[in-house]
Amino acid sequence: MSLGLEHYLVLSAVLFSIGLYGALAKRNAVIILMCIELMLVAVNITLIAFSRYIVPAELTGQIFAIFVIVVAAAEAAVGLAIILAIYRNRQDIDVTKINLMKW
Amino acid sequence: MIPYQFIWLIFLLPFFSFLIIAFFIRPFVKQESRIAGYTLIAALSISLALSVWTLASVMTAPNHELPVPVINWVVIEGGVTLHLGLLVDALTAVMLVVVTFVSLMIQIYSQGYMRGDPGYHRYYAWMSLFTMSMLGLIVAGNLVFMFVFWELVGLCSYLLIGFWFHKPSAANAAKKAFIVTRVGDFGFLVGILILYMNTGTFDIAELHELAITGVLAGSVLTWGAIGIFAGAVGKSAQFPLHTWLPDAMEGPTPVSALIHSATMVSAGVFLVARMFPLFENSPAALTTVAVIGGVTAIFAASMGLVANDIKRVLAYSTISQLGYMMLGLGTGGVAIGIFHLFNHAFFKALLFLGAGSVNHATGTFDMRLMGGLRRMMPWTYATFVIASLSIAGIWPLSGFWSKDEIVISALAQPVLFVLAMITVFMTAFYMFRAVFMTFGGEYRGGGPEAHDSHPHESPNVMVVPMVALAVLAVFSGLWNVTGHFGALLGHGETHGFFAGLFHPFTQVLPWLSLILAGLGILLAYAIYDKKWVSAERLGRLFRPLYSLFLHKYWLDELYENVIVKTVLLRGLFGSFERFDSRGVDGVVNGVASSAIYGGRALRRMQTGQLQLYGLFMGIGILAIIFAIFFFG
Amino acid sequence: MNLTLFIPELTLTVFAILVILLDLFVRQKRVLAQVSISGLVIAGVITIAMWGNSFPAIFNNMLAVDNFALFFKLIFLAVAFLVILASVDYTSRFARFQGEYYALVLLSTLGMMLMAGAADLITLYISLELTSISLYALVGFLKDGKSTEASLKYLLLGAISSAVLLYGMALIFGFTGKTQLGEIAMVIQTMPAQTLLASPALILGMVLLIAGFGFKIAAVPFQMWVPDVYEGAPTPITAYLSVASKAAGFAIILRVFFSAFGQPEWLSLNWGMIFAVLAAIGMTLGNIMAIPQTNIKRLLGYSSIAQAGYLLIGLAAMGFSAGADTAGRSGILFFLASYVFTNMGVFIAIIAISTKLNSDQIEDYAGMGKRTPLVALALTLGLISLIGMPPAAGFMAKFYIFSAAVQHNLLWLVIIAVINSVISAYYYLRVVKVMWLGKPASEEKISQSGTLKLALVLASLGILLLGILPGYVMRLAEFAANMRLY
Repeated sequence: MSLGLEHYLVLSAVLFSIGLYGALAKRNAVIILMCIELMLVAVNITLIAFSRYIVPAELTGQIFAIFVIVVAAAEAAVGLAIILAIYRNRQDIDVTKINLMKW
Repeated sequence: MIPYQFIWLIFLLPFFSFLIIAFFIRPFVKQESRIAGYTLIAALSISLALSVWTLASVMTAPNHELPVPVINWVVIEGGVTLHLGLLVDALTAVMLVVVTFVSLMIQIYSQGYMRGDPGYHRYYAWMSLFTMSMLGLIVAGNLVFMFVFWELVGLCSYLLIGFWFHKPSAANAAKKAFIVTRVGDFGFLVGILILYMNTGTFDIAELHELAITGVLAGSVLTWGAIGIFAGAVGKSAQFPLHTWLPDAMEGPTPVSALIHSATMVSAGVFLVARMFPLFENSPAALTTVAVIGGVTAIFAASMGLVANDIKRVLAYSTISQLGYMMLGLGTGGVAIGIFHLFNHAFFKALLFLGAGSVNHATGTFDMRLMGGLRRMMPWTYATFVIASLSIAGIWPLSGFWSKDEIVISALAQPVLFVLAMITVFMTAFYMFRAVFMTFGGEYRGGGPEAHDSHPHESPNVMVVPMVALAVLAVFSGLWNVTGHFGALLGHGETHGFFAGLFHPFTQVLPWLSLILAGLGILLAYAIYDKKWVSAERLGRLFRPLYSLFLHKYWLDELYENVIVKTVLLRGLFGSFERFDSRGVDGVVNGVASSAIYGGRALRRMQTGQLQLYGLFMGIGILAIIFAIFFFG
Repeated sequence: MNLTLFIPELTLTVFAILVILLDLFVRQKRVLAQVSISGLVIAGVITIAMWGNSFPAIFNNMLAVDNFALFFKLIFLAVAFLVILASVDYTSRFARFQGEYYALVLLSTLGMMLMAGAADLITLYISLELTSISLYALVGFLKDGKSTEASLKYLLLGAISSAVLLYGMALIFGFTGKTQLGEIAMVIQTMPAQTLLASPALILGMVLLIAGFGFKIAAVPFQMWVPDVYEGAPTPITAYLSVASKAAGFAIILRVFFSAFGQPEWLSLNWGMIFAVLAAIGMTLGNIMAIPQTNIKRLLGYSSIAQAGYLLIGLAAMGFSAGADTAGRSGILFFLASYVFTNMGVFIAIIAISTKLNSDQIEDYAGMGKRTPLVALALTLGLISLIGMPPAAGFMAKFYIFSAAVQHNLLWLVIIAVINSVISAYYYLRVVKVMWLGKPASEEKISQSGTLKLALVLASLGILLLGILPGYVMRLAEFAANMRLY
């Protein structure tokens, strides 16, 4: 059995869904951040798989993925800084308790 | 022939006055100075002169219409084009003269009435803005331009009703007026859009042309016209959107006189007259106008029979008279409806100024606390009686000529005719009830804030405008004695029997209406002056009717209790806490409160939980995808 | 490659770095604001000088420099200008990091300017993230409980939505093999309709794009973050979010959906319908939920959801017109231009009042008509413009967009919108009523600084100008609405 485009796509879809589920269900803000990273990684797999199978002559998908990785790093840095600020404010990073503002 | 630049000036002058008062006088001139009033009076005097000139030019112009070059205001390529065009015909010119004249009189009067009020400058600033908007509405040549002024007029009315905003009743009345009229405005806007969608134009003259040639016809025309009429119903306080006008009396009396009797409320009548070719070619729309008008006339008059606040009597009377005008438009035509508007503006403004003058002296609007003012305030008394005779339709005063024309046009529709005749009787009765309660008998002490036990006549600056208006209340009707007014406004709708000053006496109908009016006056005299009949006993005799009228047909309660509380709240939002907005009513508030409840319910969705927010996003995406695969 | 066309963006980059460096040496922090403003002005002047020409795209067709982009760049620069003017007093409450504050504002403006020109999915993604990440940090700048909470919500939801967006982009890329918008359009147009219909990848990708962009513009159901973030963020940043970030979102939606998915007609009808439904739900929900609010920033959050609904009507009209005329697009441009002045006016007035009162509660605004009449007047004007009443800009904007929709048989949508603007009058006027008719807590006058007054006057003049003489800006909007296709 040889690996085809579909396999990569299914893998990335599954990863994306796991990431999304985690981001919506986990309570610790840092873990949510990690789940979001997982979603981005899933997208990277899709991008590279498409690039490899649809337009093998070009490297568009790979380049795109590199940009995504860079941006994700920046996002994680800012995210961690904000979580740190939250922690300093209330000694807790459980997102279900972060609801000062509602209604 | 008047140069067209001057026509622009007619409504720009009050605007300049607004700018000067708001930006120079109010910040820099001290409170006691009366220069703000003089600024507006000067602007209005020039506007009046120019309006009269316009009217004279229109009379001699071919087709009674003056060409005015248009300015492109908004041009959207391949889309909408809006011109800043003016439509100046006989209707415009007559309205211009009425509005500028009545405004001028009222502003002179206000110099006395508003003297020393802490909001004096603000009063004149809003009044200037109002007059500008009202005049702009009259000269506007396309519906969007008109709608802009229409909204501005509403805004000024809001500001002026709430002028004494430290009174909560005034603030509530202002809000009620604003929101109720916006319901009508919504219909107006939809009407404009329907017409635009089907004709691609906002230009009033073009729409006339399309309606007359039959290009615009059928249900489009009918719904467009009814939408426009909805706007008129809101602004002119016609049934069922009339509830805001009596409350609007919380504003200063000159405001009631100008806005809520002579000018703004008649904007609705003007609007129907302005778009009349559309109504004329749609029998359904025209009948709607006539029926709403006839029903409003008798309905409001009956509530006027029992009110004890003099301004409320006048407010109901205004609603009723506006109903007459609508009836006149619906059964007769432009000239007949507008002729009554023309006469009504003078005598109704006069009545309000009289009420203001009485209040100035006694410190109250409650007629039960007045009485005996005949000797103390002879000028006020005389002018008030003249205006009352005029509104009751006594020959040869102005009200007679226009009201009888409406009654006669209604003859074609027997039910409406009977309603109109009963209203004639009621009008005479409630007006003279007010006259006798206020001026007859002995002085009953006035309000708690009365200055002393001997009220005085008001200062000259207030009396002179009243006398000027009284002169017109007597003579303005003579304009159409030979059918001249009807011919000017086109269509020649005037009834032939008005062939001379004494000609009506050769006919049956004028006799009938004169007798009915006379009976009304006599009955009021018997009950309230001579006390031959006790008002209480009469009230007890007709108790059901009496309380029906006094409680305004329980309409406010119907809106609030039945529609709002039972249908909307128990039905739709039954599980929520009890509804507690007292003092506000109307279907609008029903909608508003269901929106409030909806808001309170929906905000629970916003739990502050960010993951729930994310879940909503996910559900949203899925919903869109499903929608596409099911419907796409 | 023509770098001269990139000078406005380069200018902003240089100034952002300059501000951070200066922060190390300058004691008088006011200078930082002055430097930032001069950077914005220089970039603005250069952008204006470029107006009207027909430039080719730069960086291998990845960044467009057409009039459409220039129009939006001017909007962003104007908003940033007003935001910095309004921040001068506000920033004095931050003990440290004033330099970073201004630099981040400049950088997010840079991101938005790139968004306006982005003609390739890669540029689009990077510019969007540049904007967002700067904003995440800005939202949390106060570092108190509410501000950090707002920041975290914005960050996590923003990151999820951008992951979703990215997935959509990946699907589009997989379906067409291209990332450049013009090339994507070419591929889609040459494919037979059966292939397009048979493959869910394109539709799915489009829906995910709508979701990702919908987050930016606060379209229902991607709007939940809006009230919380608006309430918690520093007020100048709330203003910035509500105007510039939303405008940037519309800029990319317009460009992507017009140039990549504008043809064939059934496709554009499809997404036109999606936008129409989102518009109807958005305005209704936003307006109804605004009614019971007591915090003015939160109220404006819901109001901004409703305004996004009105703007979406323009997108629906664009979808239904299949690119045949510009009314829908230029309607959105004009609406955004008027929205810039309106919302900035409102927020600047709120900054002026709230900083002095230390409260965002509407009831505390009682008596502002007496205590600070000019600010109250400007706020009233702004609220009237939000209702959409003449003579304010909001009326013309709504009129423009509604008439575009009516031309394309969307009367039902316009009727919903008109009902909504009646409902909205209720809560906007409540604020007006409290200000002018309420009993003031104290008689003390509130004085305002010169920069705030300047910002307020500029915004109010803009509202009146666009409301009374809209013709000139409308022509600009029409001109800009003709996007170049590559």
